This record gives sequence, structure tokens and C-alpha cells, in this order.
Amino acid sequence: MEFLEWFMPTVWFVILALFLLLYVILDGFDLGVGILSLTSPSESQRTILMTSLGNVWDANETWLVLMGGALFGAFPLAYGTILKALYGPIYLMILGLILRAVAFEFRENAVNKRPWNLMFGIGSLLAAGSQGICLGTVLSGIPTDAAGHFIGSPWIWVNPSSLVVALTLIQGYVLIGSTYLILKTSGELQRLHVRTARLAAATTLGGALLITFTAPFASETLRQRLFDPTFLPFFVVLPLLGVALIVQLFRSLAMQQEVWPFVYTVMLFILSFAGLGVMVFPAVIPPSVTIFQASSSVSSMVFMLTFIGVLIPIMLFYNIYNYIAFRGKVSAE
Amino acid sequence: MLATLDVVTLSRLQFALTAIFHMLWPVLSTGLAIYLVVLEAIWLRTRNPLYYQQARFWAKLYVLNFGIGVASGLPMEFQFGTNWAPLSEFAGDFFGSVLGFEGAMAFMLEAGFLGIMLFGWNKVPPVIHFLSTVMVAFGANLSVFWILSANSWLQTPSGGTFSDGHFHVQNYFAAINNPFMVRSVIHMALATVETSMLVVAAISAWSLMRQKAPEFFLFSFKLALVILLAVAPLQILAGHESAVQVAEHQPTKLAAIEALWDDQAAGSSPAWTVLASPDEASGSNRWSLSVPGAFSWILETRPQLSQPLRGLNSWPTDQRPHMVGLLFYAFRVMVAIGLAATALMALSLLLWWRGGLSAASFARWPWFSWAWILSAPAGYLAIESGWVVRCVGRQPWTVYGQLRTADAASVLPVGEVLTSLSVFAVLYTVLLVFALYFGSRIIAKGPNLTLEPPGLAAPMILPDRSGNV
Repeated sequence: MEFLEWFMPTVWFVILALFLLLYVILDGFDLGVGILSLTSPSESQRTILMTSLGNVWDANETWLVLMGGALFGAFPLAYGTILKALYGPIYLMILGLILRAVAFEFRENAVNKRPWNLMFGIGSLLAAGSQGICLGTVLSGIPTDAAGHFIGSPWIWVNPSSLVVALTLIQGYVLIGSTYLILKTSGELQRLHVRTARLAAATTLGGALLITFTAPFASETLRQRLFDPTFLPFFVVLPLLGVALIVQLFRSLAMQQEVWPFVYTVMLFILSFAGLGVMVFPAVIPPSVTIFQASSSVSSMVFMLTFIGVLIPIMLFYNIYNYIAFRGKVSAE
Repeated sequence: MLATLDVVTLSRLQFALTAIFHMLWPVLSTGLAIYLVVLEAIWLRTRNPLYYQQARFWAKLYVLNFGIGVASGLPMEFQFGTNWAPLSEFAGDFFGSVLGFEGAMAFMLEAGFLGIMLFGWNKVPPVIHFLSTVMVAFGANLSVFWILSANSWLQTPSGGTFSDGHFHVQNYFAAINNPFMVRSVIHMALATVETSMLVVAAISAWSLMRQKAPEFFLFSFKLALVILLAVAPLQILAGHESAVQVAEHQPTKLAAIEALWDDQAAGSSPAWTVLASPDEASGSNRWSLSVPGAFSWILETRPQLSQPLRGLNSWPTDQRPHMVGLLFYAFRVMVAIGLAATALMALSLLLWWRGGLSAASFARWPWFSWAWILSAPAGYLAIESGWVVRCVGRQPWTVYGQLRTADAASVLPVGEVLTSLSVFAVLYTVLLVFALYFGSRIIAKGPNLTLEPPGLAAPMILPDRSGNV
């Protein structure tokens, strides 16, 4: 039993991280494309952008629903505490996702597409920004009492460091959205998004550097973790890999490659994510509440794992099939 | 009024508003998906382009509806954390797991295959396409199963013990298969199919009344009618069974939906109240219209009650639901709509059987067309009323008999909840108006009767969102 009480929360932490990572990558490019659609020079080009998302956006968004359900089931305390602390940005995110989704469907049936184009782009931007604020607030810590309940101000998420994370995440989404479009389009539109990818890569890099260098000053816990010798190898290897990937990303963009910019961006996302994971683990409500304190019962986690664990490869399989069925360039019409 | 609003009331209002709005969309996502499976099966068997065009036309409404359903579902899940954190902590072990299963088993299945179902006609072989449509329908119906299982657990919590402010699961299968589960899942699944078919029949009747694409819409009307005739009688039975389980497990809810104030002894034969003006202050009805001796016939199909029934007055006021008038009439609205719709179906069957049902009938008898057209909004109203009975009738409990709603809500600043509630109220009103507008545009435009089915040597062309290649 000792073993399971350590093992099961850890497994669920990893599964949650996987769901969140899949969400950030997959809906990340959806939201990025949504933001980029605000800059589309013509209606036909915007249609290509939207068509590239048509068959995938709702499945991609479902990873967020799944992450929510799994967090609720595996760490009920964290679900209540974090969502209550983030009341404002969570509802802003929901608002953004609702605007994005309905604009997508309404635009198809509308004669005058302009208001829905605007709503699609702004909804995407709002969702991306709110997610960044949620992430930034959780990373800088959520004050709790001894029982793990939220005790801070309802405005805890309004601060400069959350804003920096939000802006950086928006840039990251624009980057992955641009590289997805390089993959799915051709000609003039593809060249346009090589340029947006290059720009977004530079701004994302700037934001990431800013976060990396300011985080240790903002949070005591992060500072300790960064200088903890156990984790030192991670904090040496991860930045080096990051630099290598960024160099590769810029090179592949310069060489007009189609697939590699997207692949390198995804790898950069995974790398950043691993870095964040190592910084917070085993906290599920940073800085103080760990996965062991916030978890549901062991039997509950075992039960969930038998069902959801089996389904993870199946879900991945048919999602990948969906991408394969629609592989290749998107054309207007 | 505003000054007296506390955060629990606001969170309840917000949950009610978002749930009532959300419920509008999964109806078609679930019920119409089954219709699409039937159409595609007929098409694959006959290879008649008419059935292919049917599948494509109804899928257009399906996708418009689906997007709003996905988006409006998000606040349902997240509210458990933002506004109902004590409930999440109390019941998360079980309740959260079930929402997780719903996501992994049902929701992802539906979303993962939807893209292929909508845009994959020329991308995958017909068998794979058919399989995708089946998976969308299967996923949507699995959602019904998990959501109704979770909600039933709130009604009849079982499968574990309650101690130190937590539900501890001992037997997951007993918790999933709680006393309310089976009959509630059946009642809801039938409701989605019935209302979806009313929608198909209503749109068909509207188009036939205007003599638009008569062959096309006469077929869709008849197919919907056949399914309705199979489903509606079963639904009356399922509805009755649901009332019986309420009598067994939630006596306060039964007393409220029947405005039953005083105890009734076993062996007695109380009257059944048809209409009344319930007055909670005096604990009686101001006036009522009732059928003597009918209550036990309706509940137990026998002349006398076999079990005593407790009236509302025998409970302390903090242990029984309020808003008795709402519960009493919501229940009656649901039942009346179910019965009236079934009568309309029987009448239409009679016409069909006597050879009087043709495309021209709908133009000749506008009242007949209008009866069918109005049956669609009535179907939605019946479903919403049913949910009001189910969840308002559960009060003052969130987890029946175990966790009070007042204790299940997060302590939040009133302004915060008031803001999110107001935004939802405005946003959802606007969305509903536009959804109806765009839906009616699809209907007014009608089906594309020149659409060619994907051939074996079909070129690889990506259809656009409106379904035109």
C-alpha cells in the first residue's frame, strides 16, 4: 500500500501533464491559427485557415475537457482550490472558447462574414491569453491554508508575471499555429506564415528568457528548486537542448522546409513543458500542496487508471487516424 | 431583490442558466446522430443518391448544433471547481472520475470521429465513413450514460460511505449503477431521440407545407414518424417508471411534484390533482382541480395505495424542496407534451394507413403542419421541464440526504459570480438568437438535390464546411 500511495498520484500527475501537453500543442495551434486569422489579407485565405482546423478543433479542445475531468477525479482538492483561485481567468477562457467555437460554425452559414471573423480571432486571443494567466498564476503560487483551501485575493491573477506568461503563451501559440500553416498551405499563404513564424519564434524566445530569469526572483520555492543539486542535471541539459532546437527552428525556416519547423516547435513545447514539470513536481497546487496531499483515494485512482489508462492509446490511435485521413495541403473551395 | 442575493443563490442561478442553455444542444448531438446512422445505412444498402443527400442535409444542422454544444459544455464541467469546490472535495473521488470517463470514453470518441463524418466523404472508404458515423452516435450516447449516472448518483448516492466530509467509494460499480441510474439513462436517451425526431418531422412539415423538395421531406418525415412511433410509447413507460423510482427514493420530490401536503395512509385512495395553486405559506393548495381516487391508479396502477405517502407538511421546511408551484407545473408540462406528441403521432399514422398522408396533405391542412412544427420546441420544453423537476426537486440537497446545496457552494465574492452570471445571460441570449437564425437559413435553403455521392474513383477534393464539393 505504501508503494501505491506514492505511485498512483505520481502516475496521475504524469497523465495530467500528458493531457495538458497534448491540449497545449493541439489546441495551441488551433488558437494560434485563430489569432493569425485576424491578419489574413483576404477572405479566401482566411477560409483556408479555417478549413485547416475544420476536422480537428473540437477533438483538440476535448483534451482540455479530459484534463479537467482527470484533475477533478484524481486531485479533487486541487480542482476546487485552483479553479476557485482562478475564477476570473477561467471564465474569460471559457468565454473565449465559446466565442471561438460559435464564430466558427456561424461564419460558415453567414453571408456577411466580418463580425464572425472578428469574433473567431478575438475569441482565440482571449482563450490563449487567459490560459497564459492561469499558467502564470499557478506557477507563481496559490496561497492556501493548512487544509489546502484557497485563501488569497480574487484578484491574485492580476500581476506582471502572469501577464508576461500570458503574452509569451500567445506568442507560442502563434508560432505553433504558423508552423502548422506552413505544413498545411502552399504558395503566398505559406510564405506569409514563414514570416509570422520567424517573428513569433523571436518574441516567444524573448518571453521565455524573461520568464526564466525573473521566475527565481518571484518565487522562493522556484529559487530553491533551481539551485537544488538533485535537479541540477535537468537545469543544465534542458536549456542546452532548447538552444539547439531554436537554432534548428530558425535554420529550417530559412531553408523553407515544410515539416521541420512544426516538428521543432512541438519539441520546444515538450521541452518547456518538461522544464515546468520538473520545477513544480510534486506540487499540484504550487507552492505547498503536493499530489500526495491533494489526491483522491488510492482505490479511486486505480479504478480511474484501469478505465482511462486503457483508453489513452485508443484515443491517440483514432486521433492520429483523423490527421492521417486529412493529411496534405488544404485547398480553398 | 438584488441586495438579498447571496452567493449560493447566484451560483445556483448560474448553474441553472448554463445547464438549461447547454441542454438544448446535446439533444440533437445524441438523437440526430442515430438518425444519421440510419440514413447512411440505407444509403449504403440502396446506393440511391436521395439517401446520401438526406445524410448530408441533416448533417449540416448537426454540425451547427454540435459546436455550440461543445462550447457550452465547458462551463458545466469547470463550474464544479470554480463555484462548487466543497462538492468537488466531498464527492470528487467518484463524481470527478465519472466526468473523466465521460471525457475519455464518450466525448473524445464523438469529437475524434466527427471530422471524418462531416468532411471525410471523399477521404476515407465508405465503410470507414459509416463506422465513423456509428462512433459519433455511440460516443454521444455514452455521454448520456455517464452524465446521467453521475446525476443519478447525486439523487441516490450509493456504493460507499460518508465520513469526515467525504464520500469514500467502496464499490465503484454500485456507485455507477446506483438505484436511479438505469431508468434515468433510458428516460434521457429516449428523450433525445424523441425530440430529435420531432425536430426532423417539424422541419419536414414546414418544408412540405411550402411544397419545397416534397419527395425529400416526405421521406424524412415518414422515417422520423416510424422512429417516433417506436420511441414515444416506450418513453411514456420510462416516464412512469421514473416517477415510481422517485416515489420510492425521494418522497419529498414526489410530494412536491404532486402538491401533496398531507400524509396519505396505505390502503387509502387519494385524489389526483390536475391543476392547483400551491401555497407554501399555509401548506395547502389555494384551489385545485382533481380527479377523485385517481392517484393510486397513476402511481401504482391499482385502486388503493400499497404504501403510505408522506405529504410536504410532515417534513421540516429545511428538509424538503421549495418552489412547489414550479415543480408541480414543470412536471405537468413535461407529461402533457409527451402525451400530446404521442397523440399527434397516432393521428399521423392513421392518416398514413388510410392513404391520406402525402406531400400535398401538409399544404392542404396547415393545422396539421403547424401541430408538427410546434412539436419540436415542445420537445425541448419537455426535456428542460424534466430537468427542472429532477434537480429543483432534489433540493435542499446537492447530494440527496448527504450534502446540502448551501454547503456545496464555494464562498466567493458576490460581485464575481454576479459578473459571470450576467455575461452568460447576455451571451447565451445572443447565441440562441443567432443559432436559430442560422438554423432557419439552412432550412430555408433546403437540401442540395444535385449533390453526387462519392464514387469509387472520386477525386480527392476537400468539401467545404457547408457540404458543397
